[in-house]
Amino acid sequence: MTVIGRSWGRLTLPGKVILAAIPILIALTAGLVAVIVVLGAPILDGLAANLPIVRFVLAATIILLMTIPTAFLIIYMEMKVIALMNLRIGPDRVGPFGSLLSVVHGLKVLMKEDFTPTGADSVVFTLAPVVTYLASVMTLLVIPFAPGLYGQDFNIGLLYFFAIGGLSVVGLLMAGWSSYNKYSLLGGLRSAAQVISYEIPLTLSVVGLILLAGTMSLNQIVLNQSGWFTDWYVFQQPLGVLIFFIAATAEANRTPFDLTEADSEIVAGFATEYSGMRFGFFFFAEYVNVFIVSALTVTLFFGGWNAPFPWPWPITLSLDPGGLGIGLLLLVTVVPLLLCIVFAVPLWIARPRIKTWHALVVGFVLANLFLVALVGAGAYIGLDWVAGVLWFMLKTYVFVFTFVWMRGTLPRVRIDQLMDFAWKWLLPASLLNLFVTAAAIVVVNR
Amino acid sequence: MTTTRAPSDDPRIELDRDLGVFEPVPPYPPRTEREAEFYTLGDGQMFINMGPQHPSTHGVLRVVLKLDGEKVVDLDPVLGYLHRGVEKLCENADYHQAICYTDPLEYVSSLFTEWSPVIAFEKLMDVQVPRRAEYIRVLSSELNRIASHALFLGWMALDLGGLTPILWSFIERDEIVDMLAALTGQRMLFNYFRIGGVNGDLNHEFMSRLGDWMSRATEHIEAGNGLLNENEIFVRRMRGLGTIDSKTALRMVMTGPNLRATGVPFDVRRAHPYSVFPELEFDIPTRAEGDCLARYLLRIDEIKQSLRIIDQCLHQMPDGPVMAKLPRLLRPRPGRAYAAVEGPRGQLSTYAVSDGTDQPFRMRIHDPSFIHLQAVGVMMPGNLIADTMAIMASLDPIMGGVDK
Repeated sequence: MTVIGRSWGRLTLPGKVILAAIPILIALTAGLVAVIVVLGAPILDGLAANLPIVRFVLAATIILLMTIPTAFLIIYMEMKVIALMNLRIGPDRVGPFGSLLSVVHGLKVLMKEDFTPTGADSVVFTLAPVVTYLASVMTLLVIPFAPGLYGQDFNIGLLYFFAIGGLSVVGLLMAGWSSYNKYSLLGGLRSAAQVISYEIPLTLSVVGLILLAGTMSLNQIVLNQSGWFTDWYVFQQPLGVLIFFIAATAEANRTPFDLTEADSEIVAGFATEYSGMRFGFFFFAEYVNVFIVSALTVTLFFGGWNAPFPWPWPITLSLDPGGLGIGLLLLVTVVPLLLCIVFAVPLWIARPRIKTWHALVVGFVLANLFLVALVGAGAYIGLDWVAGVLWFMLKTYVFVFTFVWMRGTLPRVRIDQLMDFAWKWLLPASLLNLFVTAAAIVVVNR
Repeated sequence: MTTTRAPSDDPRIELDRDLGVFEPVPPYPPRTEREAEFYTLGDGQMFINMGPQHPSTHGVLRVVLKLDGEKVVDLDPVLGYLHRGVEKLCENADYHQAICYTDPLEYVSSLFTEWSPVIAFEKLMDVQVPRRAEYIRVLSSELNRIASHALFLGWMALDLGGLTPILWSFIERDEIVDMLAALTGQRMLFNYFRIGGVNGDLNHEFMSRLGDWMSRATEHIEAGNGLLNENEIFVRRMRGLGTIDSKTALRMVMTGPNLRATGVPFDVRRAHPYSVFPELEFDIPTRAEGDCLARYLLRIDEIKQSLRIIDQCLHQMPDGPVMAKLPRLLRPRPGRAYAAVEGPRGQLSTYAVSDGTDQPFRMRIHDPSFIHLQAVGVMMPGNLIADTMAIMASLDPIMGGVDK
């Protein structure tokens, strides 16, 4: 007993915790295994019976998790791109080229004090960032990322998008009202005025597109645009895409329409009193919004996940690993070694005095790159969702870059100019677009 | 939303009821009719307190705005957060020491704030400044003017939400400031001018940096302005904003670019010439509109004129000493002297009274920022809250000079 007691006494606190946790973990695992063995089949049957629900829950989880790296990536991109435009270096300390800085920002935000000002309506104050963030994330549910890769294919997908997207302003208003701060109040009211004004041209600008597509399902709209890039709706709706993009910029509260958080006027607008992770949620929501707006622009007008041109040489890969037999073993063991040597040989020829193992290391790296490229190319050709995601992300990030570019270039408009622009220019223009589209459809179809 | 707080710890304030969220919180019982009128809210109005800690009040200025929605109805600037008692400090130092206290008045254009007391003291002592020293003064101060204006152009854009111009103009400013650091040994508060000359002759590093920079200065400044001058959003926001006519501007004793933007070609360098400015050729750019855009564009024109002056200085620079022969302890005869220079913000002047000791008996510093800040009361009412910052930035006040 004394031996055990002495050993226990030597352990540090984490050691004690871990040691105590081991039997508990073992018991839990055993219990889980038992439950799976006993109840596994019924559970699986139940899941199989409710496949749509399972699929929905999975998709929602994945999308919720996806927003975090997306926001990190866009924040990093914004820091770096604006730095280049400002002739600065930008982040370069954490990770390669500072790429982990936004992760560190996330951690910092988590660790900061979560402060509620005196006099604030604490319930509303706490709920506001949640509403804003969830409204952003929920819109992602209907966006098709690739063939078959979407959260839910509503037949009213576009309507759902605008309805839920408009909810984010409720969160901003709640934040503005509950903060007990006049700057916040001004920011919240500004955002309400702005979003309500720009919702109308935003919605009207896509009505022409709905007439053309004959559907409001985003998946179907993307399918309509398959083929060559000339089939994209941008060529049939040039005015529509312009109005949509401008109005979407205002919806996402981005420069030059970032009046709700105009730092030189109303400090930080609705987010003035927020700190810690509650501010982090607003911050996240903003960048997720940027992604969503870009994604929707791509989906509606730029062919979604369609490649700009169809793959000219149709290849069908029929890889059957079982059929290879002993060849599979060779493929796994010998081919990589051979590849290493094959890539190392030119080095020996070019520089005979190079050390053998140096050449082999370089050959190993090159062989790995080659294999990764090979697998990637195979996946691109063989799996249409890989190609779809690739094209979708490529196009989306072009628009994300455009948003960042605008932030680096343009000053901010004034609130009255903002309203003038929405009601006097964008609204008539979107009505004109709708009218012309409808007339063209009537003329062509007759 | 019924939480209440005592408005301040001031024991004089006794409120018999709880204050609502959007009710005014007067800083003290109103002492004047104006204050009583200002701190009474009309229907649907509210107060908002801008500063002293606000991202864009250019220092520690506090402005209480009376708002109707987003429209500014009235405003009450509250000064004094940066008061250091510079004049009193100068009066307790001897003539050499007094100069360095004037440096941080306008901390982005320190050479001018030290130039005007230096001229005043030289007048008190009847010192003849060597011509080379005068040329060096003009050269370095015009460089400083460009640095100050470059900073203004960037801040102007930043207060309208543009992120990039401030960093572009900081590049120009940094080059100039490095140059002046090579000449004077300091980047911001130079303390370079002395009674009877300057602290040191031109050196090799300064001249090589200057030559480098001059060869591409015009090009750089044009490139930086290309970002804003043709930007529709920027021009639309600035045009017709914060307009002031020449009569009002003159009655408010405005000087410098803010006055010249209303069409009055008043420049101390021409109106009351000092130093070697009569020998130099330069224009006085003016603009008729008197709005924020005019004030912005006028400063760009001034940068070009400053480049002209620097060019001429370099060509006409005579040889000779840079410091007059002076006793170590200066005791001017009793008397008074006034000297004004044209700073980047307007007329900077010093009125010095000597009582025969080695310290100035009285030193009064007139700073243009303070005068221009008064114009805010004329320009702002009726504009939107977003424009308050644009107007403030276009007047280019430096709080170090306002509060002294």
